[in-house]
Amino acid sequence: MTEAVSSPDPFEQIEQDEAQSYNQGLTPLHPPQKSLIRLNTGIFAIILTIAAAAIEFAVRNELPLAAGSIIGPIAAFALFLFVMLPNRIYRRWGYDMAEEQLRVLRGFMWRTDTIVPFNRIQHIDVAQGPFQRVFGLSTLIVHTAGTHNSVVALPGLSTPDAETMRDTIKGHIRQDMI
Amino acid sequence: MIDAPLTSTTEDESADDAAMGEASFQRLHPLSIILKSIAAISQNLIAMGVLYFSVFDRNIIYTGLAAIALLAAIIGVTALVWSRFTYHIGPKEIRIKSGLISRNNRSIPFDRIQDVSLEQKLVSRILGLATVKLETGASAGEDGKLDALALADGEALRDRVRDYKSGAAATAADPDEGALPAAEPEERPPLFAMDNRRILIAGLFNFSFVLLAILAAIAQNLDFLLPDDFFNPWYWAKQLSEQDVVNGLSSSAQIAGAAAALISLIAVGLGSGIIRTFIREYGFRLDRVDRGQPGFRRQRGLFTLTDMVMPIHRVQAAILKTGPIRQRFGWYHLKFQSLAGDGSGESDHSAAPCAQMAEVEPILAETSIANVTADLEFCRVNPALWWRDAVLLTIVLSAVSIGIGLFVDPGFYALILLAVPIVAVKFLGWRHHQYTLTKTQLFVRTGWWRRKLTILPIRKIQTVDISQSPLDHPLDLASVTVGIAGGSPMAPLKINDIPMASAMALRAKLIRSD
Repeated sequence: MTEAVSSPDPFEQIEQDEAQSYNQGLTPLHPPQKSLIRLNTGIFAIILTIAAAAIEFAVRNELPLAAGSIIGPIAAFALFLFVMLPNRIYRRWGYDMAEEQLRVLRGFMWRTDTIVPFNRIQHIDVAQGPFQRVFGLSTLIVHTAGTHNSVVALPGLSTPDAETMRDTIKGHIRQDMI
Repeated sequence: MIDAPLTSTTEDESADDAAMGEASFQRLHPLSIILKSIAAISQNLIAMGVLYFSVFDRNIIYTGLAAIALLAAIIGVTALVWSRFTYHIGPKEIRIKSGLISRNNRSIPFDRIQDVSLEQKLVSRILGLATVKLETGASAGEDGKLDALALADGEALRDRVRDYKSGAAATAADPDEGALPAAEPEERPPLFAMDNRRILIAGLFNFSFVLLAILAAIAQNLDFLLPDDFFNPWYWAKQLSEQDVVNGLSSSAQIAGAAAALISLIAVGLGSGIIRTFIREYGFRLDRVDRGQPGFRRQRGLFTLTDMVMPIHRVQAAILKTGPIRQRFGWYHLKFQSLAGDGSGESDHSAAPCAQMAEVEPILAETSIANVTADLEFCRVNPALWWRDAVLLTIVLSAVSIGIGLFVDPGFYALILLAVPIVAVKFLGWRHHQYTLTKTQLFVRTGWWRRKLTILPIRKIQTVDISQSPLDHPLDLASVTVGIAGGSPMAPLKINDIPMASAMALRAKLIRSD
């Protein structure tokens, strides 16, 4: 765990410890990632509600439905997702930079735990989307020769962390492993 | 000639390139213009037919003039494309320049070439040409395709790629001098070959309804010739039951008729399987080549001859396929997985389509992949693999059958009986899903009807996943997915539903860094 996040805020430290109890003790993602997940879930929830509203307006003349009988349940479901999901998704994420391999743990319902040995990595990207830039986050993307898992992405790293990891891995890339 | 972005496309001319000069670049064989024109013309024949009936109002003179203009245009454009397509074989790489308007300058290092294949379609064989395909595995399809060279030039190019690193290639810098006669050690017997009898056996197990599907497709396209109700089963039932010919027969004759129909269906399936196998596998021959990088050379084909060379160190895994009946007779299909796919749309390279174990062994021995030994014990996966699916499926089926049975017709209650064969197949599938691990290799068996044994050297493993679906959490099970270069992205090598602790232990052994 070379990239342990040192955080001065005691509350954040508690949150980090709590996260580790869910992700098998691996390094949790950079805390602003939780806000980003929340933002994405929020956008999804809004789109879902708007879609429900559109459907309700479209069918209200044809079907004898009480007002809000489509919007209501869907908006409640969207709110439920928005409240429940982000924290759960966030705390299941974890990664570990061991001596010679990268381990990435992810997923709340469908859990996946991937190990990529450094010497199998073909090339590396550090990517940043517009929202990620706002939160100072980056995604580390490693490409392998495997057909399954040809791309392993680790989002939610602080940009300096992602760059350090990239440089560490870069030293291990070997020529022509296949 | 528009190519997808590929291996290494350099728009800027490097100093190296300038030194080489344009002179060393050569064109494809001029006859390839004819080859491609024929292909283009056959594509436009239908368009001409449509024009004849529509715009030209069945005027043969106009149509003839238009056809001549089209022919000239096709040949002109093909010739222009040909004149702008040049390639250069350097000591370490092949460079291809192509494109009419947007020029594409590609370099494929020999290091990155997974396999080289020569393909001769029927027309190319008549003209003495061959299409050279260079696979790097970087993207779908061929990364470098030279369509077409004279057969001798194609063979020379293939030998050059193969001889790369052997030292001999480094001295022969000039491609023309490198075009030595392909001195294959023909006296050595092939590793594996199939005579016509063997191809017939392979074809018998290649039972397929493709021919039937083609007939159905033709029938669908020509349905204006058929009676209106041709696809209506009631029409046929009515026709048949009203015919005295059928009704007049005894019941045993009716049963015999039904049996004859079934047998003819099976005959069509067998026939099309045999025909397809003959077209693809005719003259199958697998050799070991030792010049340069040791590799396998495979030749096969009835109309389209293919001749492929794959370096042995590119082999990622060995796959042995069989079926319940085939296995009883001892027939196996050996394939090698590599980053590049087989030309005919298969994701793995077929090395022996129909072979006894005794014939498979010497081929495997060349690759340092060890076959299953008698004392190797396989582990079964957790029985939840079948009973969980069986429970879920039975619940869904009962809900459906009760629903339809209640509201539509009580006869639909019988739908629940469908669960029996499906559960049986699930159970058999579980029994045939096994894995084991030796010091250097992972063995995974899957499938009851399509039996597949994958033998994977551990050092070829790229990544390992442990995944859990929501249904796995309460049972604490997990599936292990192994990332290997090549193969189908839809069906990766997977060990389903083993206990979480075993999955963790297995992964630790698989990822052991060497």
